Order: sequence, then structure tokens, then C-alpha cells
Amino acid sequence: MELAFIIWGCVIVSAIVFTIIACTVIEKSKVKRWGATGNLFKYE
Amino acid sequence: MSERAVIYTLIFALYIGFMIWSVLKSLRQVESFSDFTTGGHRMGLILGVGTSVATWVSVASVMGVPGYLYRTGAAAIIGWVGGWFFCTAMQPLLAYKIRMPKVPMRTFPEFMRLRYEPGAERSQLQIIVALLMFVGYFIFTHLQVVGFGIVFNTITGIPYEYAIFGFLLILALTCSGGFWSVAASDTINSCLILGGLIVGAGAVLNATGGVGNIMEAIAATTAPVNEGGEPLPPGIMMTAAGSFGVGALFSIFLSNSFGSLVAPHWITRFMAPKNAKAAALQMMWTLIVLIPIFCCLITIGLGAKTLMPSLPVGKTTDYIMPLIMDSYAPPIVAAITLVALLAASVSTANSMLLNCSTSLFYDVYVALSGNKILNQAQATRRLRVCVFLLGVVAVISAIKPPLLLAMGFTYVYGAFGSIFFWAVILGVYSKKMNRQATYVTILVGLCTYLYGRITGNFTNPMLMSATFSLVALLITLKLTPPPPLEAYEAFFKADVSEPTMRTIRRIRHEEFSPEDMKPAEILGEPAKL
Repeated sequence: MELAFIIWGCVIVSAIVFTIIACTVIEKSKVKRWGATGNLFKYE
Repeated sequence: MSERAVIYTLIFALYIGFMIWSVLKSLRQVESFSDFTTGGHRMGLILGVGTSVATWVSVASVMGVPGYLYRTGAAAIIGWVGGWFFCTAMQPLLAYKIRMPKVPMRTFPEFMRLRYEPGAERSQLQIIVALLMFVGYFIFTHLQVVGFGIVFNTITGIPYEYAIFGFLLILALTCSGGFWSVAASDTINSCLILGGLIVGAGAVLNATGGVGNIMEAIAATTAPVNEGGEPLPPGIMMTAAGSFGVGALFSIFLSNSFGSLVAPHWITRFMAPKNAKAAALQMMWTLIVLIPIFCCLITIGLGAKTLMPSLPVGKTTDYIMPLIMDSYAPPIVAAITLVALLAASVSTANSMLLNCSTSLFYDVYVALSGNKILNQAQATRRLRVCVFLLGVVAVISAIKPPLLLAMGFTYVYGAFGSIFFWAVILGVYSKKMNRQATYVTILVGLCTYLYGRITGNFTNPMLMSATFSLVALLITLKLTPPPPLEAYEAFFKADVSEPTMRTIRRIRHEEFSPEDMKPAEILGEPAKL
């Protein structure tokens, strides 16, 4: 049972990591139409 | 009529009233065919999260997952909860790429056409993909109707075979407004599902005496799934692989994670947000909202084994959730939870039917009719009729259900992963992926998966088909020329060339406008004219 919850926890952490990667690419592009705002998690 | 029945009817009537209000409100939003299919590519974060949560939380999760938890214990957390969460975790990486084009595609087959057959007058690939999608989504819709029937039967006492026809009443309501209607009712349904499951889990914790008692009971239980069945080995529900075995559980995990990652309804969802960042953030917030929902489902599924060690003969584990609520929760709590289950089936069925009908009408019928400019009002009207007719067929097919809900989803996700995984992932991340390699990967993936499922020769059909199709596509890429610029440019550059934009407009059955070539604004730089 513990293993199941550990796997689930790791998966949740990986979601935040993958989102940061995606948002970083958008911010580096500076393209406003793609959603670049100058802030990693800010959304317009 | 008993007090419980009166409360069930009252809460159900309130739910229907709420749905009617939301649909009438959202009907004003429908303007074009794009609005009907993808909300006009202008969806904000809150609505996007609401609709994504409601699509994720289908009968496979709210009824199938507690059912499998009841059947096998911890293994269901790895196979289904872990698998689906891993899919959602990876989705931001795919979502922002799909939403990059200034003018995105409207359906998954249209995306495949742009990426792999942009110059074709009539795209065979678009039609093949649409037909494959149609089969998968029809099975999904069928499973939602089965779930609806089980819950509606519990609420009203109407026999299952008749209860499923109640689905058509709600379907007629929600599908009348297309994507915005589906999205609005999905968001309401998401709130209902979350609220219903929280009170439901509270009722189960109260009835069992808490988490400690549940854990003790499932560690010791040997009670068979159905009364009079074979007893479970002691402690099996606490082991990671449960009654599946490691190989079979890994197969389920892969289908639910990598298979559902490229499921066409998710690709369509990624086209709806107003920009690429909204698409990525939408999936992260969706996952965060899903955490409490699945905590409740795990509590209910495992708690059910404590409260009702074996199911009555003739009832599948899909019935465990409504049975537990009906037997152990106070009437008002049970009513809210059961309506939440209905909401889950309706919201996912809406979404699936919209995908199913769009693929059939737009990607087959309209694509076959050539590259004429689309009559928006006529297309939307015909699509509505198509949605309802397919709903009727789905209801008729659900009279004798052949599959358990969660496993039915896993099979279809496995098939989608086997067929589309490389075409989608390499389509947005590699400029080299071409038309020939896509045909090869679809063919090899489909044949290997079907062979594995039908013969049972592979423990992990999706892994085998993904491996075979990768090898086949790499060989094909070596032997064939690279794709034209129009095929991939929009997924890599903010400003595309005029031929690419003209191609996108032609595929969307729209007129090219000089406005389309306006350069993208760059942060910190003055706007270019």
C-alpha cells in the first residue's frame, strides 16, 4: 500500500516539474500570443 | 414513496434545473463552427480546468476505480490513479505545443492532416484517423451510458434496461449548445462531483470508524468479490500488484498514462485555451483539483470492502459506489453523491459524443466533400443532429454491457496509445516526422495491439506495439524524404510563412486574410505593424 502512495506522490511532483518546463520555454520565447508575461506562472 | 426516494428525486430535479439554466446561458455563446467544436480557441483557465476535471472524472473513475479498489486494493491506485495522474502530469508538455499555432486546428484528425498531409486535396489520413477515433469514442460513450444506467437505476428504482434511456433527456439538453454548453455544464458537474465525493467519503469514514479500521479490515480480509465466490488470498489487497501480477499491472499503467496522453479528446482540449501557456497551466491545475477527488474515491473504494465484504450475486464491482451510498450514507448525502455520479457520466459522455460526432461529420463527411468554404450555421446544425443520433445508438448498445467500466477505458486508451503515440509526440517535437512514417506507425501499432489483445500472447500489448511501431517508423524515416515546411512550421515558430498560413486556412475550410500574416508581439518590444 505504501508503494502505491509513493508512486502517486512522485507523479504529482512530476506534474509541477513538467509545467515549469513548458512555461519556461514560453517565457524564453517572449511571444505574447503564446502567453509570455514575464512571470513563469502568470497567465493573461 | 419513501423519504429517501423523495430526497433523491428532489436533488435530481434541482440538478436538471441547474443544467437547463447553464445550457440556456451558454447557448448565447455559440457563434461559429469553431465555437461549437473548440470554444473558438479562447477558453480561460477556470473554465478550462473545470471542463478538464469533468472530462477526467468519468464513470470509469468515480465508479470503476472504487470498483477495482474493492476488487484488488492497492494495485488499483498504481494502475488507474497513478496511470491517469502520470498522463495529466505529462500533458502540459504536449498541450503548449499543440496550442502554439496562431490559428490552431479544430479536431484531432485535422491536426493530423496539417502535420502529415498539408497539401492533399482530400486527406486520406484525416478520414482514417477520424474513423479510428469514432470507434474508440463510441466505446467510451457506451461505457458512460452504462454508468448512467447503474446510478439512475439506484436513484429511481427503474430497471437498468429502461434507466439508460434517461440519458437521452440530459444529452438533448447539454449537446444543444456544443462546446460552450459542454464546458459550462462540465464546470458545474466538476463542483458537484467534488462536493458529492467529499460528503460520500465522509459518510464512509463515519460508517467504518476511520482510516485505521479500513486498513485493518482490508489487510485481513479474504472475503470474495461476490457472495459464494472464491475467497481472496490473505493480505492480497495490500500488495502493490494485487491479483493482477506485476506484468499485467504495468500494462494497465502504461495504457492509462501514455495511452491516454495522446487520446484525441485531450488533443482537442489543448486547442481550446486562449494561448499555449493557458493550455499548459490548465492541465497542472486540473491535476491539483483531481487530488482530493481521488482521495475520496480511494476512501470509498477501500471503505466499501469493510462495510460490504462481498457483493450480492449478479452485481459487478461497478455497482459498489451506488450500493454503498444507498445503504450506508444519510439520504441527503447519498442523493448528492449519486447526482455527482450522474454528473460524471453525463459530462464525459457529452465530451466523448462531441468528439465522436465531430470526427464523423467534420473529418469524414466534410473532408470527403472537398475544400469548399464551410457553411458555419448549417455545419453546426448537422453536427447537433449527429451528436443526438449517436447518443441514441450508444444507449441502445448499452442495454447489455460487456465490459467493466475502468477496464473498458484502459483497453481504448491502450489502443489510442498504440496507434497515435509516436505520430502525435514526434509530430510536435520533431521536424523530421513525415507522412509515410505516420502511416507505418498507425498500421503497425494497430495490428500489433489487436493481435496482442485478441490472442493474449503479449502481457503488455501497448508496450509491444509502441516498440514495433517505433522501429518501423525509424526505418521508414531513413528511407523517405523529410516533410514540407507547411507541415511543421506552425508548431515551432510564432511567425509562419504565407504558404503555411494559406494551408492552415484551406484545411479549416476558411478564407486566407492578410491579417493572418500580422507578426507576433514580443514581450518588451513595440508592436510591429
